[in-house]
Amino acid sequence: MAGWRIVPGQTLRHRCWDSMAVLYNDLSGATHQLAEPALALLLDLRDGLVTDDELTDPALADLLDNLRGLDLIETA
Amino acid sequence: MTQLAAFSPAQLRAALAGPGLTLGTGRFVTRLHSTIGSVADSLALLYADYPVLDDTAFADFHLQLTRPLTPRRWIKPQVTLLYDGRSLFRPLPLDQAFPMFEWGLNWCVSSRANRYLIVHAAVVEKNGRAAILPAPPGSGKSTLCAALVGRGGWRLLSDELTMIRLDDGLLVPLPRPISLKNASIDIIRAYLPDATLSRPVTDTTKGTVAHMKAPGASVARAADTAQPGWVIFPRYQAEAALTAQPLARADTFMELAANCFNYSLLAADGFDALAGVVEQAPGWRFTYSVLDEALAFFDGLAAS
Repeated sequence: MAGWRIVPGQTLRHRCWDSMAVLYNDLSGATHQLAEPALALLLDLRDGLVTDDELTDPALADLLDNLRGLDLIETA
Repeated sequence: MTQLAAFSPAQLRAALAGPGLTLGTGRFVTRLHSTIGSVADSLALLYADYPVLDDTAFADFHLQLTRPLTPRRWIKPQVTLLYDGRSLFRPLPLDQAFPMFEWGLNWCVSSRANRYLIVHAAVVEKNGRAAILPAPPGSGKSTLCAALVGRGGWRLLSDELTMIRLDDGLLVPLPRPISLKNASIDIIRAYLPDATLSRPVTDTTKGTVAHMKAPGASVARAADTAQPGWVIFPRYQAEAALTAQPLARADTFMELAANCFNYSLLAADGFDALAGVVEQAPGWRFTYSVLDEALAFFDGLAAS
């Protein structure tokens, strides 16, 4: 599915150390531990740096699904 | 300022039974009322170095240890702890009155002092840097803490509650008696023969409990904050060789967060405060069986 965006209200407050990140979920109050590339995808989505074509790549499907499950992203 | 040591036994009992004893413990002031003799005796033993404030001074916490006037008092006397005049806890056997005060005061801080991020962890300091020791009950945290402050020359900030100030990330001391349980009581008696320990109380929910008096030098420096230096997750394991395994900072963060009392409540402020600690203080997973070896490891950290 193309057209993902960051869920409104998520500020993506995070820290990244040694290729692992922790991210504060503004909506659930939970803190998630993510691999650095997953965080990079979130930041690129926020900044409009990901094309719809890239988002339809099957290699991203599981990661996008996981991020949606955490209420970090939603379909645009 | 008057210290509790200046009170005669009669004066202490009169204060507790009358206007209350207004005791300064680090950042907090507690006004305690009680007519229970064992409470006065334990306070005299373990809180002699603490300041006693005027009866009219502002108190953060108002506690009363009292004997419930139920028919049960003629069979198995009990004690109950009142917070602001209200009973929030189940009564305990009367001989657990002093441990109940200690547990109640921990509850007051951990559930009310939300200007701090509070971690369930011992914390000790040397050369300006503090080691934070989060661990579940039974891990040997308090035993290690007692050894570090009793023989290792570390300053006690707390054996139970690490308070991280939200605005600057510094650690605020709360030096109070160290809670020892079960086998650790005799271990510390043997390791620190000069330490002052309260009479062990048996059959509590935590087993047998005794409290070790905090070093006077730590109490005297209760206003001196410390910089986070290390986060060390200790585990006592009989016969085990000492191991110290560095932890990834993200893992340290997540494990530390799991040991906080009010991390979720503080939301983004809690996240920022914890991140500040983890950025300064590398994490270690630490296993030990011999206290001398553990103290040598900690001294190595302090010297680094």
